[in-house]
Amino acid sequence: MSRQGPEDFTPRRYEVRHRTTYTYDGADVTSCYERGFLGPRPTPTQRVVSNDVRISPEPDLVSEHIDHFGNRSSYVEVRTPHRVLEVTKTSVLDVDWPQVDLDALDARTVGEAVAELAEDADPVEHATYSLPSRLVAVDDSVADYARSVLDPAAPLGQAIVGLTHTIFEDFTYASGVTNVRTTLPELLALRQGVCQDFTHLALGCLRAVGLPARYVSGYLETAPPPGKAKLEGSDASHAWASVMVPGGGWVDLDPTNDHLADSRYVVTAWGRDFRDVSPLKGVVFTESGGSSLDVAVDVTRLPSTGDLT
Amino acid sequence: MTASASASPEGPLAGYRALVDGLGGPTGVDEWYDGSVLRPGQDVVASAVASMGLTGLLEARAESRRLVEDDGIRYGGLGDAADRGRSWVIDPLPVVIGSEEWAALEQGLHQRAELLQLVLDDLYGERRLLRDRIVPAAVVLGHPDFVRSVDRVPGQRLVVGATDLARGADGRWTVMADKTAAPSGAGYAMANRRVTSRVLADVHRDASLARLRGWFHTMAAALGSAAPVDVDLPRVVLLSPGSGSETAYDQGFLATLLGFPLVEADDLSVRDGRLWIRSTARREEVDVVLRRVDADYCDPLELRPDSQLGIAGLVEATRRGAVRLANPLGAGVLENAGLVAFLPEVAHRLLGEDLLLPSAATWWCGDSAARSHVLANVERLVVKPVARGPVLSARFGWELDAAGRDDLRREVEARPWAWVGQEPVPMSTAPVVTPAGLAPGRLVLRTFGVTDTERHHVMPGGLARVNTDASSSLVSSMSGALAKDVWVLSDDAAVVGGWSRATPEAQPTQVRLQRRVAVAPRVADNLYWVGRYAERAEGTARLLRVADDLAEDHAQRPGTPGATTMEVMVQAAAALTGVAPVAGQGTVDHLRAMVGDAARTGTVAHACHRLVLAAESVRDQLSQDIWHVLSRLDRTLERAPSPRAQLRPQLDNVLESLLAVAGVVHESMVRDQTWGFLDGGIRVERAQHTLALLRATLTSERPPVIDGQVTEAVLEASESIITHRRRTTSGEGPAWPLHSATSLLLLDPGNPRSVAFQVTRLGEALALAGDPVLVERCEGLVSLLGALDLDEVCAGDRAGLAAALDTVARTLRELSAELGTRYFGRKPPSRVLLGQWGGRG
Repeated sequence: MSRQGPEDFTPRRYEVRHRTTYTYDGADVTSCYERGFLGPRPTPTQRVVSNDVRISPEPDLVSEHIDHFGNRSSYVEVRTPHRVLEVTKTSVLDVDWPQVDLDALDARTVGEAVAELAEDADPVEHATYSLPSRLVAVDDSVADYARSVLDPAAPLGQAIVGLTHTIFEDFTYASGVTNVRTTLPELLALRQGVCQDFTHLALGCLRAVGLPARYVSGYLETAPPPGKAKLEGSDASHAWASVMVPGGGWVDLDPTNDHLADSRYVVTAWGRDFRDVSPLKGVVFTESGGSSLDVAVDVTRLPSTGDLT
Repeated sequence: MTASASASPEGPLAGYRALVDGLGGPTGVDEWYDGSVLRPGQDVVASAVASMGLTGLLEARAESRRLVEDDGIRYGGLGDAADRGRSWVIDPLPVVIGSEEWAALEQGLHQRAELLQLVLDDLYGERRLLRDRIVPAAVVLGHPDFVRSVDRVPGQRLVVGATDLARGADGRWTVMADKTAAPSGAGYAMANRRVTSRVLADVHRDASLARLRGWFHTMAAALGSAAPVDVDLPRVVLLSPGSGSETAYDQGFLATLLGFPLVEADDLSVRDGRLWIRSTARREEVDVVLRRVDADYCDPLELRPDSQLGIAGLVEATRRGAVRLANPLGAGVLENAGLVAFLPEVAHRLLGEDLLLPSAATWWCGDSAARSHVLANVERLVVKPVARGPVLSARFGWELDAAGRDDLRREVEARPWAWVGQEPVPMSTAPVVTPAGLAPGRLVLRTFGVTDTERHHVMPGGLARVNTDASSSLVSSMSGALAKDVWVLSDDAAVVGGWSRATPEAQPTQVRLQRRVAVAPRVADNLYWVGRYAERAEGTARLLRVADDLAEDHAQRPGTPGATTMEVMVQAAAALTGVAPVAGQGTVDHLRAMVGDAARTGTVAHACHRLVLAAESVRDQLSQDIWHVLSRLDRTLERAPSPRAQLRPQLDNVLESLLAVAGVVHESMVRDQTWGFLDGGIRVERAQHTLALLRATLTSERPPVIDGQVTEAVLEASESIITHRRRTTSGEGPAWPLHSATSLLLLDPGNPRSVAFQVTRLGEALALAGDPVLVERCEGLVSLLGALDLDEVCAGDRAGLAAALDTVARTLRELSAELGTRYFGRKPPSRVLLGQWGGRG
């Protein structure tokens, strides 16, 4: 986990470098189609200063559109035969997250917030993030867990912080135990997983009680162990949850690290679950039998601090 | 059948009337009778029925089944022989709809098409219907056919559509379902018409009814008009999931009617964000795709990653406006049963009109008041999911027991937004011909529409389906419903959208120029194998016929020259087919196995089966006539001769059918690239067969008596015995049998059975395919054969002959392998790489 202090809410500028390398054994890939989120979306908490994408071999086509969820989605076609495909994205962003006013949220209970949102929120946005999605399907076990951690009578702010903390306490971080097909009931039985799993569980709980919630994909600046220099490529992409609250706002919560989001959080895209915002996925045509994937991420704080206006 | 039909002494009509009167349960109206009075417009068919009597009706029924079989009209997948789809079953009596009633129905369908287009535009655009709470957002956003990846793609037109209708208790047509995703059945409707118009030829001629052909021209033009840019000759393809699809017949026949090529995912690829037909000769861009692949499966990159039926990048190509799909991806959300509950309000909002066609009263369970109503009335409602699901997912509350209703209630409560409750629609009854007389079945009518840039056009007819149990509310092809033709009467041509009763020939000829579309590798490959399997079946059948004749004469006389000749020929057949005798199997049984065992590679039946599969895969490329012949061939092979009977009669029938196949192919195909691949297949196969036969029979030295008989048998199996005898008698040809056979079957460029002849023809076929390199290699082989000296080849211990045959066979094999590499190359296998899971977070 990463601890949080007041210094984490100061404005700052980051360079995020994300390199994805696919290596194929034995035979060339003759053509390759990729879809991914190669540019961060602008949000109230971040301004995109620059974004640079390099792809090797040279792609035949790269094009970007704004997807259903408002993200910058990119399509890439590479028809040069290759054994290695490398996609490197370098983004510079000014980030500034405010501290969430929990007292203001506590003015309502969870139940009151649910009723108010059903009445006042945009019906499309409300339904999009309330309905179950493929990786956030709520069955009885998820509903039971949700009931145990989200009391409709609890003040909203406390409930959100409580949910974040409970998942953090109840689950152990372990990579390699879960995968892209792990369901929430399986996760509840395993009691361990990675940030995507914890995020999906938080979404399942929030939606189960009637609060719209979305999956956020992005990055988190990490500190090296005390006294050691930060290693290149040692960061990683990250995921957390965001819940709709009355008044048109959203509160971002990170159950993997047991706190709400701060200025170390860089957003790439959001959607209903991982499937909507998978950083990069592709279809390749090849006789090759195997492939390996290597991802290297660096989140570097730059000296000059941008101003968010 | 609950109401058991009985042959009435007063004829089929009175018997039918009595059955309709006696129906219990929800009583819908009857299509023919209003009480004891025949409804107007029904007299044409009813009076024919009266004069035909039950005998005549049953003859018509049998005739209809025979025609269906001849045309190969099927519903259900095309698998191995065992699970080949059911035959389509057409009841000979059409549904007749008067012109006035039809005109009103058309108005309702026009309105509905307009409305659905506006709804589609809104749902993938502004979503005002949802934001203004006219339609609850969860109805749409919770529906699996709401395709988010095509959100805000402009210009998405519902080009094609179908509507399932049934009559309510008051006799009004009520909409049961809208088919907007990839509607099927227009091809079946035309197939029904073709069969019914032949079975009831007199009635069809006399009735003043709207013809269907013109509507398919309109459909073709409408599809062309959907092209994203204004091109003179838009390229339209019909994208099929493959010949294993349940409605493969419908797709293939529709492609033929429209004149558009039938393609599969392997035939297409996306390059530079555009859609292309893959072809060795030239790349061609596709402007419009008539889609019969479910939306979910159309693009493994953006939709279902496990799909093998889609084209990576297709969604991006539509997003860029480079290609239009008909119907657009995402149109399936309009099939949403939940939407129906709100459609009247939507019509007010978007059109300012009342709906002309009612739907069954529907409650969407996502709304708590509606849910309570449904749960409280489960026993008399139809409860169904809003999305297409597994087969027969609608539940009829009155058919469930208490436990079943409780289960259903629980399912609804768990995911209320995914369910609706509907008042049952009683549906009308219509007569079905059964051995016991006319019996009433419940009727569902499917209408078809297309929209061009100007307006919506309804097919003046449709596809009616009727169940065989009037007490059941279930009518679907999957559950074994029968099909009926739909006759729309047109006493005044102007009434029915301008469709006169004139014959198609008399209609103004629409000369629609179409681009010739490049031949995709899958198509080329299948055409080539149509040729090869047809020829393989023929060559094998001829060889087995000779072997069978020898067995008939000599099997009982071991040790005689005849018996030895028989053994040589049976062994040759075993070598060529690869079907060795099983231990203890006699010659006759061995021969039978080589003919009839479709499961074993190499047999005649196997080659015929593969021929049919290959032909099915390129249905749109072949003449309709070929299906009659192929279905006859199928029947011939199904009837195994009795154990003691000779094989010859069956083999004669097989050969007759195969000659008819060759006739259809030769007389009906234009000599272009398509023909080049098919004839190329024939030539390669015949040459290889002949080379293998010569190698297996004439390259061993035998006593002259036996040698002479073997040579004659080989010449007979190669359809050259007459020429051989004539030449030998007149002294024209070589004196020795071996020399004569080698000359006739290997070297003679004038004998259509010789290897030299095949190679020359192969060269011509390759020239049509447009390949100078392979043509040159063919010419090389022709020269090689020309340079062979007959006496030298046949001299000595025949090692020279063996060597010459081997050289030619090897060269030919290389050539055909090269042909495959150059023209039949499929896409390399594709793999989906999903993103990384885990990492830091």
